Amino acid sequence: MWRPVVPSLRAVSSFQPGRTIALCLKTLLCLAAFSAWPCPTTSVSAQEQAGAPESREAFRIGEATHGTLLFRTGQQTSMIPAPLLKTDVQITVTGLVARATVQQHFTNPGNEWAEGIYVFPLPTHAAVDHLRMRIGPRTIEGVIKERAEAKQAYEKAKQRGQRASLLEQERPNIFTASVSNVGPGEAITVELEYQETLHYDQGQLRLRFPMVVGPRYIPGEPQAHGEPEKPVDGHGWAHDTDRVPDASRITPPVSLPRNGPINPVSLTIDLAPGFPLARLESAYHPIRIAAEPDGRTRIALEEASVPADRDFELMWQPAAGHTPTAALFTEQKDGESFAMIIVMPPEPSALHRHRVPREAIFVIDTSGSMHGASIEQAKAALGLALARLTPEDTFNIIQFNSVTKVLYPDPKPATPATVQQALRYVSNLTAQGGTEMLPALTRALDRPDPVDGTEKSPRLRQVIFLTDGAVGNEEELFSTIRRRLGDSRLFTIGIGSAPNSHFMQKAAEFGRGSFTYIGSTTEVQEKMDALFRKVEHPALTEIRVELTSQTQADMLPERVPDLYVGEPLVLAVKADKLQETILVTGRFGTMPWSSELSFGQAKPRDGLSVFWARRKIASLIDQHVNGAEPDLVRQAVIDVALKHHLVSRYTSLVAVDVTPVRPEDRTLQSHALPTNLPQGWDYTSVFGLPQTATSGRLQMLLGLIALLVGAGLAWMRAWVRMV
Amino acid sequence: MRRQGLMAIPALLLSAGLVLLGLWLGAQGAWIYVKARLAQYLLQHAWSRTIHGEAHVTPWPWSDTWPVARMSVPNYGVNLIILAGASGRTLAFGPGLVSTSALPGQMGTMIMSAHRDTHFRFLEQLKPGDEILVEVPWQPPRTKFYRYHVTGIDVVDARRTRILSQRARSSLVLVTCYPFDAIVPGGPLRYVVSAEGKDAEELGGHSGKAFSLVGEP
Repeated sequence: MWRPVVPSLRAVSSFQPGRTIALCLKTLLCLAAFSAWPCPTTSVSAQEQAGAPESREAFRIGEATHGTLLFRTGQQTSMIPAPLLKTDVQITVTGLVARATVQQHFTNPGNEWAEGIYVFPLPTHAAVDHLRMRIGPRTIEGVIKERAEAKQAYEKAKQRGQRASLLEQERPNIFTASVSNVGPGEAITVELEYQETLHYDQGQLRLRFPMVVGPRYIPGEPQAHGEPEKPVDGHGWAHDTDRVPDASRITPPVSLPRNGPINPVSLTIDLAPGFPLARLESAYHPIRIAAEPDGRTRIALEEASVPADRDFELMWQPAAGHTPTAALFTEQKDGESFAMIIVMPPEPSALHRHRVPREAIFVIDTSGSMHGASIEQAKAALGLALARLTPEDTFNIIQFNSVTKVLYPDPKPATPATVQQALRYVSNLTAQGGTEMLPALTRALDRPDPVDGTEKSPRLRQVIFLTDGAVGNEEELFSTIRRRLGDSRLFTIGIGSAPNSHFMQKAAEFGRGSFTYIGSTTEVQEKMDALFRKVEHPALTEIRVELTSQTQADMLPERVPDLYVGEPLVLAVKADKLQETILVTGRFGTMPWSSELSFGQAKPRDGLSVFWARRKIASLIDQHVNGAEPDLVRQAVIDVALKHHLVSRYTSLVAVDVTPVRPEDRTLQSHALPTNLPQGWDYTSVFGLPQTATSGRLQMLLGLIALLVGAGLAWMRAWVRMV
Repeated sequence: MRRQGLMAIPALLLSAGLVLLGLWLGAQGAWIYVKARLAQYLLQHAWSRTIHGEAHVTPWPWSDTWPVARMSVPNYGVNLIILAGASGRTLAFGPGLVSTSALPGQMGTMIMSAHRDTHFRFLEQLKPGDEILVEVPWQPPRTKFYRYHVTGIDVVDARRTRILSQRARSSLVLVTCYPFDAIVPGGPLRYVVSAEGKDAEELGGHSGKAFSLVGEP
C-alpha cells in the first residue's frame, strides 16, 4: 500500500482523493526517475571519486573502436580508488644554491594492491641525485641505473610482489615517480632530493618550485600502439605522435575542476642568503617568515598545505650596498676540482645608453590554454611593450593558436596611429584553439631576404614571445630557433600560473635573449620594466673567459651567451687543479670591458660537482638539438649521470625492497594519479565539450507535476465541501 | 467539520502556490526551447554580415560569441548557424564550434556540439552516408562549402573516451548528450556522429590534440 509522502496531505489522507494524488505523484516521480536512469541525477564526478560500481554496464556502451576518431583514455574509471598523494617539500638555500627534499606520500585507500604513477614537475635545472623509499620506519636507498635497466628492475620487483619505486625524467622539468605494491590501506613515501642553482637577475634571487604539469598541446600524427620504435606507453591522456613520441608520458590525467583541488603540498624554506635582505616576497602564495638568531630565515606557507596547481616563487633582494658583484666557490672531489664562478658586469655607462632603433616582433599565444587569466596577463604585458615603442622603431604582432595570423604583412614604424591600431588589435584578442607554435615561430624569425643593393637594416631585431609554453614538442622548436635565429634575438615571457619553464629558458638560450615570468596581472608592470631595461640597453657581447693555467679545464657554458643588463655570468668549471686567476673580457657595443678574479678568494662549498655535472648534461643534450650523433650524446650523458648519481633523460633512480609482500593470488592495479588543472585555466577551453542537454524538459515536467498537484488539491477541496 | 474549515485556507494557498510554481517552471522550460528557435532567426543577420567580410560579428551587443559557419543537412531539412565556442551560454542559442578543435576549412577535426533536445535533436535520425554541408565565409560575399559524409555513430562514455584530431583528413564530429529522451541532464554518455570530408581543401594548419568528452550532457 502506498503511503502519502507529502506531509501537508496527511490531514486528508483518510480520504480517497489524497491517496489518488499521492499515487499519481509517486508514479510521476518514478516515471521521471526511470526515464532519467541512464543519466542519473547524482553527480557523475562524485561517483567517479567514490569509485562506485558502474551501474550502467547493462546499457551497452560503444567500445569506441569503429569510429576512428575516438579512442579510450588511460584514465581510470574503475571502481578501485587511486592512491592519494600528499607532498612535503623542504628547501635549504645557501647563497646561490638550493637543496630540496621532496616527499611524496602515496596512500592506498582501497582494498586492492595498487601501483601509483605520478607525473610531476621540478625546477628546470634540478639535479636529482637521491631517491629513498620509506615504508614505516624503514628506508631503502635508490640506486642510479641506465633508464632501461632501472625500468626492468622495477618491473621485475613489481611482478614479484616487492615494493619498489622508480624515478624517471621525461623532460628536464617533468619527472615520473612510480611506486608499486602499495598494500590495501598502506602508505609508501617516495623521497627525492635535488640541488638547484638559483636564478639571479636584476639584483634579485628567485626560487621557483613548480607544482603541476599543465596540459600540453600535442602536435603531430598519432602513432598506433605497439610500434617497435616507440618508447614504453605512458598513462597520459594524449596519444604518442610522430612529433611528440612520448606524449602519453607527459600528459597526466587531469582531475575535473568540480571535484575540487587534489594533491596537497606543504612547503618550508630555510634561507641563508649570505647578505642582509631588503626584500623577501612570495609572489603567488601567502607565507610566514621567521628570522632565526643565526641570521637564517625560515619561511613556510601560511596555509598548512596548498593544492598543487601553480608555481611557488620566492624572491629576495640584498640590502643596498650588499649586492654581490663577484663570487667564487670551489670543491675538491675525487681528485678533481670544481668551481662556480659568478661575475656581475657593471651597468653600461651613460655613454652607451643611447637608444638603438629596434624592430620588435611580438608573438602572442592565443590558444585555448591561455584562456582566462593568462590571456589577460599577456595582453597587459603586450600593451605596455607597445606603448614603449618610438617612431624610429618598427614592429609587428603575430598571434597563433591552430593558425598563425599577423597584424601587418611587414613590420611598420611605430607611429601613434599604428600603435593605436595595434593596441585595439590586442584588446580584441581571444584565446581558443590549438597551440601550433612552429609556424608562428618560423614566421617571427624569418625575415624577407634583403633585396640586392639595399643596406642591411641597422635595427636591432628582437622577437618577444608571450606564451605559457604548453606544448610537447619543445626540441623541435629549439632546433627551429637554432637554425633560423640569424641576427634576431628571442625573449620569452612565460605567462600564467604554471608555465613550461624548460621551454621559456631553453628557447631564450637558443634565441640568445632572456626569459621572464608573469604569473599575475599585478606583477606585469615590474616584470615588463625589467625586460625593457634588457631590450633597450646594449648587451655585453663577445664574452671570453680565460683561465690563466696550463691545465685542462672543462668550462660550461662552452659558448658564453650575451648578457643583458642585470644578468650575471655564471660558470661551472671542472679542472685537475685550479690556478690563481681568471680573466673575463667582453664589450658593450664598441666599449671593451674586463674583469679579473683570483682563486685566492675562493670559498669551499659542497655540491659544486653536482652543479657542474647537471650543466654538463644540459650542454650534451643541447648538442643533440644541434645535430650531434644521438648515440654519442646518449653515452656521454650516461657516463656523467652515473658518475654523479644523477637522474637524466637516460638514467633513472630505482629502489627495491627485496621482501615480497603481495600475496601471489592478489592482483596489482595500476593508477595514473590525476593532477589539478593549473590555477586560472579553463577546463572547457583546454579539453572540454560542454553541457549538451538543457534542463528544459526537467523543468517542464516538474512544472506539470506542480500543476497537477495544485489542481488536484483544489479539486479535492471542492469534493470535500460537497461531501 | 471545524477541522476541515481550518485546513481549507492552507490547502487553497498550497494549491494556488503549486499552480503558480507549475506555470513558472513550465514557462521556464518552454523558454529554453523558444530561445533556441528564436536565436537562430536572430543570428541570420549576424551571419550575413559575417559572409560579407566582417569578423567576430556579435549578434547582440552583450554577446560573447559570433557565427563562424552554417551547417545544413539536406536530407532532414536542417539548417543551423554555428557559433564560436561551446559554453553553456553559447549553446542556448545555437550549436557551438568547440574552441580547441580545428577551424572550418582547416585540415583536422572540427567538433561541434549542441543540446540533444534542441538543435542536435536531429542527430538521432542521421545514418551513415548522410551528407552534411558546412558553409564558411570566403571571398565576400561568396562562401565556400565543405561536404562531409557520416561514417560512424557511437554512444560512448565521456569519462573514458576522447576525440582524436588528425591532420591528414578533414573530419567533422558532432556531439550531443545521450540518451535523447532523458529527462534529467548530467549523465556521462555522449552520442557522437563522425563524418569525413571529401571536397575540403587543404589550407594548412592542423591540430593533433585529443579532446575530452567530459562535460555534462
